Amino acid sequence: MSYEKKILQMKQLLKKTSTDAVKKEQQVSFEKPQEPFYSADWVSAGLQQLQNDLGTVFLKETHYSLDYQHGKYKLGQFYEALALWDHYEDDHPIKLTSEDMPVFYDTETTGLKGVGTHIFLNGLLEESAEGFTLKQYVLADPSNEAAFLWESKFWQGEKAVITYNGKSFDWPQLQTRWTLNRQILPPLRTHHQIDLFHISKRIWKNDLSRMKLSNIEVAKLDFHRVDDLPGYLAPIVYLDAVRSGESTSLFQVLRHNEYDLLSLITLFIQATELVFSTAAKDSANVHTNIGKWYSDLKQEERGQKLLEGVVHQYSEKEAAMANYLLAFDKKKNRAFSEAAHYWLAALPYLEERPLVEASIELAKLYEHQLGEIATAQRYTLQALNKVKMSAIWKKEAKINKIKQLEKRYIRLKRKER
Amino acid sequence: MIRERKTVAELLAAWQSDAVMQNRVQHVKVIGEKPATYADFPEDLHPSIVKALQARNINQLYCHQRQAFDFAMNGQSFTAVTPTASGKSFCYHLPVLQTIMQNKEARALYLFPTKALAQDQKTEMNTLIEAMDEEILSYTFDGDTAPGIRQKVRKAGHIVMTNPDMLHAGILPHHTKWVSLFENLKFIIVDELHTYKGVFGSHVAHVLRRLQRICRYYGSNPLFICTSATIQNPKELAEKLTHVQHELIDDNGAPSGKKTFLFYNPPIVNPTFGVRRSAILEVKDLAKKLYEAEIQTIIFAKSRVRVEMLVTYLKSLTKQRIHDESVRGYRGGYLPSERRAIEKGLREGTIKTVVSTNALELGVDIGQLQACIMTGYPGNIASAWQQAGRAGRRQDEALIIYVAQSTALDQYIIQHPNYLLGNKPEEARVHPDNMLILMDHLKCAAFELPFKAGEDYAEFDVKDLLDYLTEEKILLKTSDTWHWMTDSFPSHNISLRSASQENVVIIDTSNTGSANVIGEMDRYSAMTLLHEEAIYIHQGTQYQVEKLDWEEKKAFVREVDVNYFTDANIAVELKVISEDQTKKIGAATVSYGDVMTLATATIFKKIRFNTHDNIGSGPIDLPPEEMHTSSTWMNFDQPLDWTEDDLNGAMLGVAYAMNSFIPLYIQSDRSDVHVVPQVKALHNSKPTFFIYDSYPGGIGLSERIYDLWQPLIEHVYEHVMVCSCQIGCPSCIGAQDQSGDAKDKVIQFLQSFLLEELIK
Repeated sequence: MSYEKKILQMKQLLKKTSTDAVKKEQQVSFEKPQEPFYSADWVSAGLQQLQNDLGTVFLKETHYSLDYQHGKYKLGQFYEALALWDHYEDDHPIKLTSEDMPVFYDTETTGLKGVGTHIFLNGLLEESAEGFTLKQYVLADPSNEAAFLWESKFWQGEKAVITYNGKSFDWPQLQTRWTLNRQILPPLRTHHQIDLFHISKRIWKNDLSRMKLSNIEVAKLDFHRVDDLPGYLAPIVYLDAVRSGESTSLFQVLRHNEYDLLSLITLFIQATELVFSTAAKDSANVHTNIGKWYSDLKQEERGQKLLEGVVHQYSEKEAAMANYLLAFDKKKNRAFSEAAHYWLAALPYLEERPLVEASIELAKLYEHQLGEIATAQRYTLQALNKVKMSAIWKKEAKINKIKQLEKRYIRLKRKER
Repeated sequence: MIRERKTVAELLAAWQSDAVMQNRVQHVKVIGEKPATYADFPEDLHPSIVKALQARNINQLYCHQRQAFDFAMNGQSFTAVTPTASGKSFCYHLPVLQTIMQNKEARALYLFPTKALAQDQKTEMNTLIEAMDEEILSYTFDGDTAPGIRQKVRKAGHIVMTNPDMLHAGILPHHTKWVSLFENLKFIIVDELHTYKGVFGSHVAHVLRRLQRICRYYGSNPLFICTSATIQNPKELAEKLTHVQHELIDDNGAPSGKKTFLFYNPPIVNPTFGVRRSAILEVKDLAKKLYEAEIQTIIFAKSRVRVEMLVTYLKSLTKQRIHDESVRGYRGGYLPSERRAIEKGLREGTIKTVVSTNALELGVDIGQLQACIMTGYPGNIASAWQQAGRAGRRQDEALIIYVAQSTALDQYIIQHPNYLLGNKPEEARVHPDNMLILMDHLKCAAFELPFKAGEDYAEFDVKDLLDYLTEEKILLKTSDTWHWMTDSFPSHNISLRSASQENVVIIDTSNTGSANVIGEMDRYSAMTLLHEEAIYIHQGTQYQVEKLDWEEKKAFVREVDVNYFTDANIAVELKVISEDQTKKIGAATVSYGDVMTLATATIFKKIRFNTHDNIGSGPIDLPPEEMHTSSTWMNFDQPLDWTEDDLNGAMLGVAYAMNSFIPLYIQSDRSDVHVVPQVKALHNSKPTFFIYDSYPGGIGLSERIYDLWQPLIEHVYEHVMVCSCQIGCPSCIGAQDQSGDAKDKVIQFLQSFLLEELIK
């Protein structure tokens, strides 16, 4: 209520303009904004102050040699990964070759969504003569936004922008900010996007429980953050910095952003190695995920090879999903008894959902291709019982599934006679 | 039960020879058919639109549709007054389609007060577009829109149909994703304009100001097309709401069928007290007759509780038949899927009787029903006609029955049917100046676009308010601009609909282990409807509130089967904070300003169904709700030879009657303003009547009443004088003790002080 009281006491402050007053034309001409009062402080704290035609922006620039160690990789191993892709002829969501102009990109923002959310930090990590260079541009204040966006250089060239969840977060945010400054800035160009968040989900599905970058760092990249500022505090730090001029905590945000970007390079290296490896580098689960990924990309041959690798190198239990997936390929190629063989191998170890699917597939094979009605009945019944006992399907889906299976069973019964 | 299908005419004929009916129906008004007035198609109407209309066998327009087209094509914003079933949608569809045919980049934004209305119109629009055989994309955009097609709606939708809430929280805060809409926006359609009044209307007025601010930013300057039910001030309301000058179209060319309007007064059951039989019981009996004649009927009741009571009564008609869904309730608080199913049942005729709150006054497409029963006067003429408009199929005669309650206003209407039949409906008001509402939307506006020095927000000079928000660390001021600089998303915390911002969630705990949310309710209503031990009725099922967690805003209820309902009292304290205007009327002083109220729910009564006996009571233990609002008050000197007790009694009686008659002057519900008499007001120690808006910050109602004290008191006096009761009754000054002489005191008080001495 105290808020309410306060607001209502401000009634006297409210002035009304006459409705008939002619609206002033909006100014379109651009006036260069003033630099903020804390410029000198931020410079003495270690930021560079840049001036362009559009205003003021602050920069922290950091160089890394190719030998720079981040977690288990040296940054220079990035070029080994590129070399692998240089020889890869098809398309792939993380394909990046020596021809491309890669920029690893990560933002920090004042909120989660909407036009009132500002990007206050653009972190851009790019190749440079001696290795890599990180440029972290800091928004001087919201009136200097055009200057800040300009320096990202996303209005020129054609780059490969590598992000973590950038497709749904960082890039749309950048588009929003750009739209608000579109009178002043050259148009934002479309760049090739590689989103390592989606890629991590494909690779480590059912292997990592959380796909936060910091989780992957610990589990897969052997990188452990020291004194990291939690990401959710970043907005508060900036909001305070532009009001007070105090920049100490801002440097913690910059370091958080630096960690993120360095990890993106090593994550890219790791993901590439996994995509190109035979089945021996990580777990059966991970290689099976990658094999399925190839199949979904319509690169079945690569997928099958990898899945077969899994089947050869791991126990039947570990390779259950690989067997299960291979069976579909075999069926597609009309190698029916082989398909049955793979499903049968998978069957004892599958989880509910694929187990039911495999049983149904077996029932179909035995009914239509292999002509063993009794066996088909057995698998139908097995699937039916499993569905009835299971809690993983939603009510409607479950009823449908049971109906279909019962229909199949009745048909099989009829065929028996 | 005997069921025998009858037409409305047959039923009316049967009632003619029914002595009881004849006795209770105090007035009959037959409104004859009205033929249509046509106009030619505009010459330049696009051939594919002509084709689509002709395919529906439409070869002419109603005159109001043609006028609408001409205004729109001349770039003039307008408001069209359109009764139910008068082809109002062509008033906006035709110019919109014509403009899109001329310029494929053109866009239109349609606003409907509810999602359901938008769905209806999309269906109609798409049928029209299909018949035109043109590539025009029309979509709804609301909470139900699948994420997959949102992008398409934003980029390519020629016509986007949404509601103010979605515009407020889902579109404006993300306007950069809607560049192609805002750059090319030619029309903003505001359908059901009359619903945008009071608090909701004041919020929407700001949403529209924010919308216009965004449009200006993207260089567009759209026209407004509003359609409204009949109210006294459609043009004024539209202009206040949209902040744009409007032309008015109120010459409706659509035909209408014959309507018979019955004014039905329940019999007096206690002559001394002037108590009539409960209107609800009468409605129950009438509804039964209509149900048996298989006449599809809509019953309007004023509160959720009454809707549920009637559903409970009427469902017993169908008890023998399993799965019978022919009687249904319909009100706010039901889940959307439940509501959609009811609307469909009405259109398809599987539902014979529907009992509704004013939720169905709106143009939700349920087809036209044959009969309408109003349980009590809906509070204003506009609503009465809206409700009556629900009945009336073109080929068929329509029946409207108004059943009066014992209240003063209801009895006034039945004594003066011409007040309802002959007067223009009341005015509808919005009050965008409400500081709390203004401040809420100023935040949203600042989130959406920074404010430049010298920039006004619509009609408001907001520099000082922006400076305040800067001090509060919500905005950041750079040399000439205020920027949003906090990590919150303001529109999510601002609800356009409810008086208080937090709703109480109602949770059914009847099944252990599977608690189920069955509805929600605003905080103020919850004080009297969801207190512990209250009986809450939902779809005819009774629940008892077992626990009300006021902190967490949760009410836990359990299904019960009892033969009573509950009714709660509220006590109010008042403090004057500022006096903005004051004037003398005779020897009395009337003022207008801000007050602080403190409302406390005190006790509740248990009232038996059917007999309405009081069968018990209990205390309510809830913290008082404080509210800062606007108020008008009238004070006068303590009359010399009156005891404080007598004065208190007389003032209570007058306040009761005043509260009843305020809706005659301004479009409001009884509960939108409160009348509180005080023998010794805190601020002046004098006898004072307060009338205040029941919404924080006020919504402009008491400001109007400041100028209406005199006619209001005269009206009260006349009514009390002619009331046939002896000692005071619910129709005049409220029910009184048998022994008292309260009515005489009230009359004496009105005569000697209010009228003769004070207001000469």
